Amino acid sequence: MPASATDFATLAVERHDDGIAVLSFAVPDHGLNVITPAVVADLAAALDELDRGPAPAALFVRSAREGSFFAGADVARLGGLRNLPAGEISRLCDAGRALFGRLSAATWPSVAVIDGVCLGGGLELALACDLRVATTDPRTALGFPEVKLGLLPGWGGTVRLPRLIGPGPAVEMIASGESVAAAAAERMGLVDACVPTAAALETARRLVEMHRATGFIGARRRRMAAALDVDPAERDFLAATSTAVILGRTGGHYPAPPAILRSILAGTAVDAAAAGRVESDAFESLARTDVAANLLRVFQIGERNRRDSGVESGAPAAVRAAPAVVGAGIMGGGIAASHLRAGFPVTLVDIDANALAGSVSDILEEAAWDRVTKRSDSARALGLAGRLRTSTALTTLAGADLVVESVTERPDVKQAVLADIERMVSADAIICTNTSTNPIARLAESLTRPERFCGMHFFNPVRRMTLVEIVRGPATDDATVAAAVAHAKRLGKCPIVVRDAPGFFVNRVLMPYLHEATELVREGVDPARIDRVARAFGMPMGPIELYDMIGLDTAFYAGLVLSAAYGDRIEASPLIPALVKSGRLGRKTGSGFYRYSGAGQRARIVGVDDEARAALARYALPPRATSDRTIADRLLLPMLLEALRALDEGIVRDGRDVDLAVIHALGFPAFRGGLLAWADTLGAVEVVRRLEPLADLGPRMLPPPRLVALAREEGRFSEPVGGAMPP
Amino acid sequence: MTHRVTMDPATTPVIVACCRTAIGRAHPERGLFRHVRGDELAAAVIAAAVERSGVDPSTVEDVVFGATQQRGELGANVARTAALMAGLPLAAAGTTVNRLCGSSLQSLAQACHAIAAGAENVQVVGGVEHMHHLPMDSGIDVHPRALARTSRGMLSMGLTAEHLAALHGIERHRQEEFALESHRRAALADDAGLFDDEIVRVIGHDAAGAVVEVVSDQSIRRDTSLEAMAALEPAFLPRLGSITAATSAPVSDGAAALVVMSQAEADRQGLRPLARVIGTAAVGVPPALMGTGPVAATRKLLHRVAARGITLADVGLVELNEAFAAQAIHCIDALRLDATRVNVRGGSLAIGHPLGASGARIATTLLHAMHDGGVDLGLATMCIGLGQGIAVLFESV
Repeated sequence: MPASATDFATLAVERHDDGIAVLSFAVPDHGLNVITPAVVADLAAALDELDRGPAPAALFVRSAREGSFFAGADVARLGGLRNLPAGEISRLCDAGRALFGRLSAATWPSVAVIDGVCLGGGLELALACDLRVATTDPRTALGFPEVKLGLLPGWGGTVRLPRLIGPGPAVEMIASGESVAAAAAERMGLVDACVPTAAALETARRLVEMHRATGFIGARRRRMAAALDVDPAERDFLAATSTAVILGRTGGHYPAPPAILRSILAGTAVDAAAAGRVESDAFESLARTDVAANLLRVFQIGERNRRDSGVESGAPAAVRAAPAVVGAGIMGGGIAASHLRAGFPVTLVDIDANALAGSVSDILEEAAWDRVTKRSDSARALGLAGRLRTSTALTTLAGADLVVESVTERPDVKQAVLADIERMVSADAIICTNTSTNPIARLAESLTRPERFCGMHFFNPVRRMTLVEIVRGPATDDATVAAAVAHAKRLGKCPIVVRDAPGFFVNRVLMPYLHEATELVREGVDPARIDRVARAFGMPMGPIELYDMIGLDTAFYAGLVLSAAYGDRIEASPLIPALVKSGRLGRKTGSGFYRYSGAGQRARIVGVDDEARAALARYALPPRATSDRTIADRLLLPMLLEALRALDEGIVRDGRDVDLAVIHALGFPAFRGGLLAWADTLGAVEVVRRLEPLADLGPRMLPPPRLVALAREEGRFSEPVGGAMPP
Repeated sequence: MTHRVTMDPATTPVIVACCRTAIGRAHPERGLFRHVRGDELAAAVIAAAVERSGVDPSTVEDVVFGATQQRGELGANVARTAALMAGLPLAAAGTTVNRLCGSSLQSLAQACHAIAAGAENVQVVGGVEHMHHLPMDSGIDVHPRALARTSRGMLSMGLTAEHLAALHGIERHRQEEFALESHRRAALADDAGLFDDEIVRVIGHDAAGAVVEVVSDQSIRRDTSLEAMAALEPAFLPRLGSITAATSAPVSDGAAALVVMSQAEADRQGLRPLARVIGTAAVGVPPALMGTGPVAATRKLLHRVAARGITLADVGLVELNEAFAAQAIHCIDALRLDATRVNVRGGSLAIGHPLGASGARIATTLLHAMHDGGVDLGLATMCIGLGQGIAVLFESV
């Protein structure tokens, strides 16, 4: 029992009879503990009070909240940093570091007792303590996610971590932003012990006792304060190899990882006080970059998506516990596997017994995939096998409360299967179709309860693509949409609700990008140049490579639907059928626009060969003057215009869904914040100006009403997300 | 001329025999030894070395063998199991040592130290590696705290060699010319039968799976060219790198063994030594600069034998293990070696680099080349992963 206790708004300090003081955080109004101005003030006041009283034998810093030590800084406050005057951000870093530094300078030892997430500023607080005990609780994870927001840890993380675990491991941890579990943290030397939660406080006591007379803590404090003795050859090697790794991962588009490397290299060569100044300056520079602002926005859009029910009416989303998938093809199998991974039992129905049998091993292998070991966990696969029920009879759907139909894209087949499904399931069940080309309205014609029916468009490969389009048909009711949205989230996906229109949203904005690339090829621009420009913009691959990846036959059929609907803007390019006719279907056949060495996953581009040149020459257009910037404009502006048209038509609910969708489904660069955020960096007036010389290309380059209005009012394309107040 | 000092025959280590298997590619479909276990290769060279030396088997006191992957078929102290398979007397002890790539040169060095100390005398030393059955990167779990003073990149030998190439401006073309010369020399030596005396014939399997007597190193390429090499992608650093598969030693399977004893014991048994070992050195270097190990080891060794008036200029032949062309070129440059006296019969880029066997392999090739050329002094030296070097100096008897 504590001998005395003092309560603050966000923490309590207990003093025990044995002289140990325990500081326990519980930050109100937040699901997890986060570092707010109140936390900072309370910690300072608590340390003041400890200084005034008799010195404790030791201070234990812990969280009174189960599952979270500290989840990091309050992200909502980061957006306001840019508005502070020059030098002020750096000063805030100095102040935070100085506060935590009081722990390392105290006359008593301190131990962080870490149970649950310990991220960002939370880990910096833990690092400021002399010792760290982490629990084996599966929620315990330690990491510096700042890099994912374009920042670095600004309260001593880049100073203390390399001194504790070495500069190389510190660069890896901070520049990757990946968290580690307690056991791994112990192996790295990041924590001093890894024990069950029930033993954590006792372990902290024993560690303090063990080290009381050894001089260990004093030696560690001296090490944390001094320059780090690193062999110069090792320092050079770390710089060279890390630079290469960072360049490979970021393409040079993200300023934070190289800044982290530079700060750690410079900061370890000097004492901790000087290293702190290096860190503060680096943080201020990064916090003022557009990339940091964009990454923060993307993060907040994701958070908003997690809270978005998908409907405005507030219709309740009944939990679906008995999902089923009809169609054991690649998509159906992937959807079934994602259900198993998410912990659902799933029924998979296909009338073809062979297809069904063939898909089972793939599904189990995918569901039991261990991302760490990069292989399937056979024990886990065995366990999941019991949760995958397969059948050739639709009667097994009787108890299902959510059915995803994923049979072939032929509308007549889909209609028949959907009608059969509807007859099998209860009136409460919702039926979703996974389709990319069929109108939901048309498929709903065969149903008696079209209000319980919607589209659920997954992307290939399902395991990797997080976006799902929930397509609302004309008759779909809010409860069905809300249930589908909630279900997709339980699968770990980001669902956006879109209206029923050809191409829905994602393929509709993708097609102008792909189509424009074929027009550029017809004008004689080298495909490799087009791809290079797209990559330089930050796309994961160029449009021509993407065509070859999708498969030109697949692209051809998808293009037909869109050109039928939006033919004045998206004509079917003659290049695609020309290549298909000559058997060049893309990567899978070893040639498409490009020729490949090998086929499948390991295929590498050799170049554009004569055969392709000959096939394409017949459709040549007069060449136009093209700079790389013009190529980029021609690829990206039609995409933007189509997104604005979709917004005007109400196909997407919100501009934030536009940015979420292009990032998650098309790999649009997150550092640009999304399609609309990127457009804002140009401004509506500039977008219109850049479209003018392209006007003769036809209606596809015509500014839609929303753009005209924005240019007139000098308005913004993207809506702000979340609050933005200085910390 | 070296300054001769009188050596005590009782504590002077001499080599009375050395041999090796041909080196196979560690390839699951085409490797000549894909169906032959590593311990079988070890037993074959142990038996052959003992037989060729003429040593009285009952006098063998210890078997000291190097292997970097001491698990599976090379687990449970392969020096002992291979000695049992080779039919050595049960009284011959066995120990397996690991100094990574320097393992079998280490086994030779420490056997010599035992002789100099008046401990175990007649010993069979050598090494074995089967990089197909026991890949170098599997089953390894380096403690993260071992990286605290260095960085993860140093676990990739290729990256350390890229770094060396970048630091010293060793361009890709120069590396490829070096690799081509290694293949040319090895092919010439092989065609001239210069390896015949050192290679122990063992049974393997050809590409079709039929049994074949393996008499030649499998990785030597007679058809390679600068053009073919120039077409290869960088192996360790996509796009930016200068090192390719052609300028890295191939992963290999093989074994090599030597018989060592004191000069006095050789005299007693009436055996004619090939050479005596007059100095050894092992040294640590920064892990990031592991490729420089031979420079540091050679300098340390030369310092040790300086009292005898030996300098590098007196050394007629050098076997410098070629882990990477860039690394070997750097060592030649840094030590100012005469390239015409280095790896005269080709190096590991052509012959192959079965890690734990390579030290004994280069010693074997060196001793044969010294013998054939009437060379007085020869040096064998290697770089070692995680930052070490090792060197052994031989003098013809």
